Amino acid sequence: MSRIGVFVCHCGHNISQTVRVSELAHFAAGLPDVVVAKDYRFMCSTPGQDMIANDIREHRLDRVIVTACSPLMHEHTFRKVIEKAGLNQYLLTIVNIREQVSWVTDDIEEGTAKAKALLNGAVYRARLLAPLSSRVIDVNSDVMVVGGGIAGIQAALELANTGKKVYLVEKNSTIGGHMAQFDKTFPTLDCSACILTPKMDAVLQHPNITLLTYCEVSEVKGYVGNFDITVRQKARYVNHDKCNACLACTEKCPGKGISGWDEGLIKRKAIHIPFPQAVPQRPVIDRDSCTYFLKGKCRLCEKVCEQKAIDFEQHDSFLNFKVGAVIVATGYDLMDTRPLIQYGYGKYPGVYHALEVERLFNSAGPTSGKVTMRDGKEPQAIAILHCVGSRDKNNYEHCSRVCCMYSLKFAHLFREKTSADVYQLYIDIRAAGKGYEEFYNRIIEEDVKFIRGKGTRVAPSADEPQRLIVEAEDTITGKFVRLPVDMVVLSPAMVPRSDYKEIARLFNLSTDKNGFFMERHPKLAPLATMSEGIFIAGVCQSPKDIPDTVAQANGAAAEALTIVSRQKMELEATTAMVNPASCCGCQNCVRVCPYGAPFFNEQKGVSEINEALCKGCGLCASVCPSSAIIARHFTNEQVLAEMEGLMEF
Amino acid sequence: MSFEPKILGIACNWCTYTGADLAGTTRLHYPQNLRVVRVMCSSRINPSFIFRAFQLGADGVLVGGCHPGDCHYNTGNLYARRRLAVTKKILEFAGLEPERFRVEWISASEGNKFAQVVTEFTAQIKELGPQQKLKIDELLEKI
Amino acid sequence: MTDFKQIENNLKKEAKKLLESAEVPVVLAYTRGYDEKHPMPFAAKSVADVEKIVFNEYCNFNMARYIMRFPDAAKIAIAAKAADSRALVVLIQEEKVRREDLVILGIPASGMKDPKTDQLIDSRTTGGLYNPVEYDILLGEEIRGQKTVSPYAVLADYEAMDKEARWAFWKGQLDKCIRCYACRKACPMCYCDPCFIDQNKPRWADKAPQSPGNMMYHLTRFHHLAGRCIDCGECSRACPVGIPLYLFHKKVAKECEEMFGQAAGMKLEDKPVLVDFRVEDSDQILK
Repeated sequence: MSRIGVFVCHCGHNISQTVRVSELAHFAAGLPDVVVAKDYRFMCSTPGQDMIANDIREHRLDRVIVTACSPLMHEHTFRKVIEKAGLNQYLLTIVNIREQVSWVTDDIEEGTAKAKALLNGAVYRARLLAPLSSRVIDVNSDVMVVGGGIAGIQAALELANTGKKVYLVEKNSTIGGHMAQFDKTFPTLDCSACILTPKMDAVLQHPNITLLTYCEVSEVKGYVGNFDITVRQKARYVNHDKCNACLACTEKCPGKGISGWDEGLIKRKAIHIPFPQAVPQRPVIDRDSCTYFLKGKCRLCEKVCEQKAIDFEQHDSFLNFKVGAVIVATGYDLMDTRPLIQYGYGKYPGVYHALEVERLFNSAGPTSGKVTMRDGKEPQAIAILHCVGSRDKNNYEHCSRVCCMYSLKFAHLFREKTSADVYQLYIDIRAAGKGYEEFYNRIIEEDVKFIRGKGTRVAPSADEPQRLIVEAEDTITGKFVRLPVDMVVLSPAMVPRSDYKEIARLFNLSTDKNGFFMERHPKLAPLATMSEGIFIAGVCQSPKDIPDTVAQANGAAAEALTIVSRQKMELEATTAMVNPASCCGCQNCVRVCPYGAPFFNEQKGVSEINEALCKGCGLCASVCPSSAIIARHFTNEQVLAEMEGLMEF
Repeated sequence: MSFEPKILGIACNWCTYTGADLAGTTRLHYPQNLRVVRVMCSSRINPSFIFRAFQLGADGVLVGGCHPGDCHYNTGNLYARRRLAVTKKILEFAGLEPERFRVEWISASEGNKFAQVVTEFTAQIKELGPQQKLKIDELLEKI
Repeated sequence: MTDFKQIENNLKKEAKKLLESAEVPVVLAYTRGYDEKHPMPFAAKSVADVEKIVFNEYCNFNMARYIMRFPDAAKIAIAAKAADSRALVVLIQEEKVRREDLVILGIPASGMKDPKTDQLIDSRTTGGLYNPVEYDILLGEEIRGQKTVSPYAVLADYEAMDKEARWAFWKGQLDKCIRCYACRKACPMCYCDPCFIDQNKPRWADKAPQSPGNMMYHLTRFHHLAGRCIDCGECSRACPVGIPLYLFHKKVAKECEEMFGQAAGMKLEDKPVLVDFRVEDSDQILK
C-alpha cells in the first residue's frame, strides 16, 4: 500500500483554461492509494512547494505526483522539494498536463479527460517506484573548448583566468576564426585585428591554456565531469618545437594552393601561415599543393630551414585529454551561393560574397586593402544584395541577423575607399543592437542608395559587356528597376559548418532543421545542451553578431565552471542492473551497449553492469530475453503499469 | 457518439518527448487521444510492451524516437529500428492491422511534425475502428 | 546418400577415436529408447558407451541444445545434422559455446521420419537443408543434386490470406495452446532460465492457458527467436496440440532475411540480426 499525494497545478490560466483542475484533483482523490489530492495556482511557487512539503509530513506520503508542466521543466525543482521533506527524490512522478494537454487543445472536455488518463497512469507507475541513490563521482577540473574563433577564444580566456586548465582545439592552423578575416567591425568601425589579435596572443601566452591548432576531435567518451576525448593532431610536416618562425621556407616554396583564408581570391604557398598575425606563428605544409607530395621532388623548404624543422615523415597523431566539461563553439560557414544561379556567383567575375569583400577591405588581404575587382579595376557602381538564401523559404527560413549591419558597413567602406555608387537592395533593415540604428542613420547620410526590394537576378549587361545588370522590384515605388553595376556583393545565409553532423554525433548534440545546435531550452538554458556537461556558444547555436557571441562565450564559460569548480557531483541514479537469478547468460546486453557497461562474469555465468559507465538508456533491458535486467526508474513493471493506467480511461 | 480511439505513445526523452513539448509551447493543437509514456530511449521499448499495449485496449501505438544518427545514446534507435520493424511484421502476420503500430523519428525541434503525425495517426485509427483482436475481455483476468 | 547404418558405424568409429584420445570427454549422439522408433539423446562418456550409440531415420531431434549441459567438459563432440549444425552456429555466435571446444560430427541426411506418424518429415516444415553448414568430420557423403525448395515456399498460402482470415487462423491455433512449453523445451535456441513468461517481476501475462496469455507468450517468443530460429521444426513436432509454429517462425525468418540480408545460423562470423544494426538500414522496414 502506497500513500500517494497528488498536486495539480493551475499554472495561472495556462493549465486551468483547458483542464478543469479542481475536477482533476477530485478525480485523483478517488483513486486507490491516493491519500491527498489538491490543486493550486502555482505549484512551483514557494507557497506551492511548501504545501507539498507540509503534506508529505502531515499525511506521511511516500509518493508524490505533481500534475503540472513538462518534467523537462520542473522535475528537478520538485525532486528537491520532496527530498527536503524527507522523501527520496525518485519517488516523484510528474504528469505533463501543460505542454502535452492544455496547450495542445482548446476543448476543456477533451483536455480534462486526457489529463485524467495521464494522472491515472502516473498513479499506477508511482506505486511501483523505488527509492534510488544518486551516484557521486569525482569531477575533472579541466575544460575543452572546441573552435578557436572569437567565441572559443573568449571562453578559453575566461576559464583560464579563473585558474582552470583549458584545451582549446582548432581545426585550422591558426586561431582567430572569421573575425580575423574582417577589416572593420560594425557599428563602431573599430579595426577587427586590433581588438582580436591581443586576445589571440593572450591565448598563446596563457599558462593555463593548451592550444591545439590543426587538430580535430575524433572521439568523445565518458560523461559529465569525466569526459575522455581523443584529438587528432593533423600532420603539419613542420616540427613546431624546432621552428623559429623565420618563414624562409614560405619564401622559397614553389607550391601554390588556394588561400582559404583569403576566400580563394589569391594563391598562397604550400608551406604557409594563413595570415601575418596568425597564432601560433608556425607554418604548416598543405599536402594538396606541395610539390614534393605531388611530384616526389622539391624539399626546398627543408634545404632552407636552418632549424631542421621540416619533417616530411610526420603523421597524424592522436592525443588524449580528460576534461570535466566541454564548450562547443564551431561557428559557421556562409551558404554556398553557386546553386542560386539567378545571382551568377561563380559565373560572373563581378559577383562576390560577403567574406570575399571583407578580405578586399583588409590591408592584409589579397589587394592590400584596395577595392579592386578580379580584373584589377575599381568598380564604378556596386550593388549589395541582402538576404541571399536567408529569409527565403526555398533555402533557409532564418534571418542571419548580421547581414544588414555588415552590408551597411560595406557601403560605408566602399564610399570611403572608392568613388562608386553603392546600392543596397534589402527586404527591410534590421538594426536591433546597441548603436545599430544610429549607424544605419549615419550610412543613409553617406549618399548610399537604398532600394527596398530583394535582388531577383544578376545578368550581364547587353550594352556594356563588362558590366552587370541587377534586377529588382522597388517595393516603395512599385517599379521594376534594372541597375547597371560593376560589382555585386551577395550577403548569403549563415549556415552551420559543413561538418556539423560529425560534431553533433561526437558530442551527442541535437540540431535544428538548419543544423544549428539545439540549446537545452530556448530561453532559460540557451547555452546548455541535452548532453550534460556540453555547452554551446556563438554562431554554431544560431546566427549572431560579435557582441552576442562574446556574451555567450562568457556565459558558457560560467556554465562550464559550475561543473568543473566542484570536486564531486551527483549523477542520475537511473542506471541498469542485472538480477543474476534471472540472467540466462545470452550476453545480448554486452553486445548492444554503446558504452560497454555490461560485462559477462564467466565464473557466475551471468552478466553484470558497470554502473559508472551506464547512461541509463535501457537498451539492455529491452534486448534481455529473460527480463533479468532492471532499467531503474523505467523498469518493465513500471512501464507496464503506467500503460495499464493510461489505457484504463 | 463517434469512436474516440485510445492511442498509446511511447516517446524517447531527448527527441520526441521534447518535440511534443515544443508542439505545446508553440500551441499547436492535435487530437487528445494520445497518452504518452516517457522512456529514455526508443531502444528501451521491449516488443512485449507493444503486444501488451494492444492487450490493454490501445487502438493504436505510436513510438517516437530520435532520427537515426541523432540518438542521444548514439546507436539506440538503430537497434530499435530493427527490433520494432520485426514487431510490426509479427503483428501483421498474426492478422492484426500493422497500421495500428507506427514508428516515427521526431526530433526535439520538430514540434510541428509531432502534431502532424499525431493528427494523421489519430485519423487513421478512427478510420480503422476499435481494436478488438488483442484486447483482453474485461471478464478475463487482467494480470 | 550414405545409409543410416553406415552413418551409425562411422559415428561409433569417430566417437571411439575421440573418447580414446581423452581429448574429448563427451560425445553427444543418440541411443535406443523404449523401441528403435524412439531414440534418445545420449552422452557417451567412455569407450564402453560407444556401443550404445545408434543412428537411424528417427533421430530427428535437434541435439544442439544439449551442449550447454556440459559446462565442465573441455571439449564436446556432437552429432549434427543440417539443422543441428545451424543451431550450433547460432550458439557459437551467442557465445554459449566456443567453436574450438566443439568437434562437430556432421551428418548429411535427406529425410528423417517422425515416429508419431512413421512418415518422412515434410521438408516444407523445416529448413530443407541436407548437409551440415559447419562440421569437422562428415560422417557420410555430402548430398548433391537433390532437389531443394525454398524454406519459405510453404508460406505462400498464408501470406495470400486476408488479415481477417489470418487472424482467425492464428487465434484458432494459439487458443489451442495448453502452455505445456514443449515448444521451448524442444527449441535449441530457447535456453533462457527462467523464460520471460515464467517471470513474476514483471508478470508479462497470466499463466493459465487462456487466449491473452497464449498470445503474449507466442508473439513474444516469435520475436525472441527472430533472426535466431534455424528452422528445424522441432517446436511444431513437439507440440501436443499440433500448432504449426514453424509457419510463424518461417515468416519471421523470411522477413529478417529480406530486411537484414542474413539467414540464421549460416555463418560463424554473422551476428544475430536483432542485436546488430547497420547505419544504412532503411526506414522503409518500419512502414
